[in-house]
Amino acid sequence: MQILPFYLLCDESGSMIGEPIDAINGALPDLHHEISTNPTVADKTRFCLIGFSDTATVLQPLVDLSDIDSVPALAAGGLTSYGDAFRTLLRCVEADVAVLKAEGHEVYRPVVFFLSDGIPTDPDWDQAYKEVTQSRFCPKIIAFGIGEAQESTIARVANFRAFMQKDSSVSPAQALREFASSLTRSIVRSAGSIGEDGGNGFTLAVDDTVPGFSLVSLDKL
Amino acid sequence: MSADDGADVTLGSLALGARIGDGGQGEVYDVAGPGRLLYKGYREPGKADGGELAALVALRQGLAPADRERLDREAAWPLCRVVDGGRATGFLMRRAPDSMTWRTSRGEARLTDLSYLLRPPRPAWQAVAQPSPAERFALVVAVLGLFRWLHALGLVVGDVSHANVLWTVRPAPAPYLLDCDGVRMAGRPPVLEQADTPDWHDPLAAAGVATVDSDRYKAALVAGRVLSQDAYVTPGGPLRPLSGVLDDRRADAVRDLWEEASGPRGTRPHLAQWCTALAGRDTIRLMAAEPAPRPVVDRSKFDGPRTRGRITLRK
Repeated sequence: MQILPFYLLCDESGSMIGEPIDAINGALPDLHHEISTNPTVADKTRFCLIGFSDTATVLQPLVDLSDIDSVPALAAGGLTSYGDAFRTLLRCVEADVAVLKAEGHEVYRPVVFFLSDGIPTDPDWDQAYKEVTQSRFCPKIIAFGIGEAQESTIARVANFRAFMQKDSSVSPAQALREFASSLTRSIVRSAGSIGEDGGNGFTLAVDDTVPGFSLVSLDKL
Repeated sequence: MSADDGADVTLGSLALGARIGDGGQGEVYDVAGPGRLLYKGYREPGKADGGELAALVALRQGLAPADRERLDREAAWPLCRVVDGGRATGFLMRRAPDSMTWRTSRGEARLTDLSYLLRPPRPAWQAVAQPSPAERFALVVAVLGLFRWLHALGLVVGDVSHANVLWTVRPAPAPYLLDCDGVRMAGRPPVLEQADTPDWHDPLAAAGVATVDSDRYKAALVAGRVLSQDAYVTPGGPLRPLSGVLDDRRADAVRDLWEEASGPRGTRPHLAQWCTALAGRDTIRLMAAEPAPRPVVDRSKFDGPRTRGRITLRK
């Protein structure tokens, strides 16, 4: 079968304490509910949750969401190491693809939903990022910035689409709920276009507009 | 009322309620008023063939009462067109029976479609009452019986898939066909461009083309996948029905048809063959009648010695 792996790479640095982290933790059951009650979508997708602050932690290794009934919560604290986030992501992607292939699956290029509310505190993070984008299984990255995140940084992280929270029109918590809904829609719609025979591949479905966010141009010079 | 007599209703006259569904080609809304009706509105009405939609409505109106009752019981058939400014924007249909929805742990209603028959049950959808082997068998018989009947009416179902067939075993096994505006009269164009569902396409059919032949292939997918609780098995691959669903005779007959369904167009088992195989009847191979043996000719009666004289032409 063809499998499309999704990775949620989520900032859990100190600045996420309170409503923002609660909003994401509160949205994860919604995502799980939506996917796990739809057997066709659950069959074809896998989900992994990585939280990052000083270091990155694989909170939920890649899994069929209908196989789990709880997930470790995100817990805010510490700095914002993008570098460790991308190193951990790369390690996971390489291992996960190998495992899925060994199980007899064909694996589509992984999709990463990256969320951050701040600027990276490790200056050399782009080296780790480069290793991800130059790797064999270079994932498609959709990046979301809220709070103190810088538009230029979010645009650098994304290679597919990037969004920034609109100033003051919505709270970070509201924006994060929209972010999670957008991720859920992306999983459901993308899975809906995967044919088991794989003849035509699939279409990665990502919202063009996400309430509370504005689309960031990825035309880099 | 137009849902009964099939006459067009105007969009403006409908009291639309909540949007309850969002498909690729249209959206489904609750309609306030009697009859538990739903409105399916096309996303792009300009692309819908209003004439063909009217033909589907007329087909239902033309059925004998018992047949119309069956159609209403087993299919969300277009009852009447909905028009706006002279253009068909969609149609009214009945809501699926309550017995064909289930509630998630959060109380949300979901349609009980075939996908819940095609894989081992998972905790997230444990509220879907799974059929016993005998009920699973009865469901397959009922779905194929419905397709057989639609073919007998001269129709092509088209987009047969896990998402378009609902089912229940309470109080008795029964199917319910959705997206019936995707059904067409054999040989006629569809109301909208033919939709296909991933994993449910006929490998020998061109994309977007639906025929009685592609229906036969997809009916085999329904039979094989439900019987074996396998969402992805296809004819040509081995079929392993769940234990207790088929007796030996039926299992043999079903395997034969499953094998034949992978054949070229024109050779795939028709729905009546499936119904016969599932009924457990033996089939008798019929030989075309041999020509009657010619009687032996007694040449002696015809081949006596000839004496050919001459005819004088001059008098």
